[in-house]
Amino acid sequence: MDKAILLESVSKKYDVGSSSLKVIEDLTFDVNKNEFVCVVGPSGCGKTTLLRIVAGLEPPSSGRVLVFGRPPDPKIQRFGVIFQEDSLLPWRTVLGNVEFGLEIQNYQEAERERVAKTFLELVGLQGFENYYPHQISGGMKKRVAIARALAIDPDLILMDEPFADLDAQTRSLMQRELLKIWSKLNKTVLFITHNVEEAVFLAQRVVVLTKRPSRVKQIIDIDLPYPRARLSPPFISYRERILTAFHEELEGI
Amino acid sequence: MNVVSMRKLYSRLQSLLFASASVIVFFILWELAASYLQSPYFPDPYSVLKAFITIITVGDIDGYTLAWHTLMSLERVLLGFAVGSATGVPIGLLLGIKPTLKNAVTPIIEPIRFIPPIAWIPLSIVLLIGMYRYVFLIWVGVFFPVLLDTIAGVKRTSITLIQMARTFGADNKNIITKIIFPSSLPEIMNGLRVGLGVGWMCIVAAEMIGGEPVGLGRLILKYANLLQIDTVIVGMITIGLVGLAMNYFILFLEKRMFRWRVEIRA
Repeated sequence: MDKAILLESVSKKYDVGSSSLKVIEDLTFDVNKNEFVCVVGPSGCGKTTLLRIVAGLEPPSSGRVLVFGRPPDPKIQRFGVIFQEDSLLPWRTVLGNVEFGLEIQNYQEAERERVAKTFLELVGLQGFENYYPHQISGGMKKRVAIARALAIDPDLILMDEPFADLDAQTRSLMQRELLKIWSKLNKTVLFITHNVEEAVFLAQRVVVLTKRPSRVKQIIDIDLPYPRARLSPPFISYRERILTAFHEELEGI
Repeated sequence: MNVVSMRKLYSRLQSLLFASASVIVFFILWELAASYLQSPYFPDPYSVLKAFITIITVGDIDGYTLAWHTLMSLERVLLGFAVGSATGVPIGLLLGIKPTLKNAVTPIIEPIRFIPPIAWIPLSIVLLIGMYRYVFLIWVGVFFPVLLDTIAGVKRTSITLIQMARTFGADNKNIITKIIFPSSLPEIMNGLRVGLGVGWMCIVAAEMIGGEPVGLGRLILKYANLLQIDTVIVGMITIGLVGLAMNYFILFLEKRMFRWRVEIRA
């Protein structure tokens, strides 16, 4: 099976009292192994729900979800999920946080520390091992979360608007570093964002979702070499194309 | 020494000054009241001090010294506290994690919570003997604050952290031991501190009955029967001071344990 993620007419609805809310409807797309795919869509369109379904945190109401050929299950497969909100354990140090996933995956203690330190170095946080989360900046917290996700050697990296809360400069720095890490580690990334420029900067393919209930509006290959210049004409033309599709959806809200 | 630490020192000295001033004022008022009332049942500070020294050095009418009374009471309260925490924390975790179970037992727990330990005395006399009775009556005081704070701590646990753990493949045991428990620990410690305080305040009720002539509650009741109020006040003050010391001890532990949290407040 060479598809990392396969979604086939996936629908998700929640029961709200007697009525039901359709969040995702008949959503179909796939992600190849080692591919970097961004999903963009208007807020409230079910992007986070989509990520939760791919991560195996909740089942779809109907349709088929396969991650490396099987229904996703974090107890069997390894997912590196990075959340928008702060997801560090405040009572653990930076090192302890990176070790968390390794602990759950039953790594030996010595091995845990060695691996955690390697990945802290990868995200540029050597020397901060013994800091507590409240002592470091928002960008550094994101780096810790990324190190924690990568440390377990995930089959799939799922990112839910991870940089949305950062300031513009930190965000663009984190984007560049993420690309560096991605090219070094050869991982499949599904990255969710509502920021079109971010999607064009990062992704090989951008999936544009419609407003709720979400389906695929358009899939656009970004045929630009890395690193990408945000002010280059082809970059801007990709951005405009996606923004146009995006705005058609926004108007309906 | 820089300006900031000078200011800190100054404000510390100031609060120390105010604290000692209010203690002095308190003793003056006590002295004035005693000399105004001239009652054998309202001793002045000096006779309480004398009684203090007698109880510490010589002992009471049965020969037990104040240290012995205090130790015996501490043993009973700490045992009750141990049983109270060993039941309150796990049951609190369970009820916090299972809201349906909590809703089911709330109608039982809530009214029982408001029954004071004194009201349990007759029943405990009939049903329990010796240490069991002490432990039970202290437990009544300890259990509920520990239980309620533990439940509150579990509820405060961030859902994002639980989901994060799930994405790493954590099972329920992992989520309880590695997320919910450490996240609730500040509230649990707070419940333990309050529970220990309440348990300690139950000591008089717990020692109200029973054959053994030792314990701070016993001491108070013994001398109340003799109408020697100065020694009664000695017992009261000792209970107050020991309670205060225990509270500060746990506060000190909390500060050391929750460095990750205390500094957020600062």
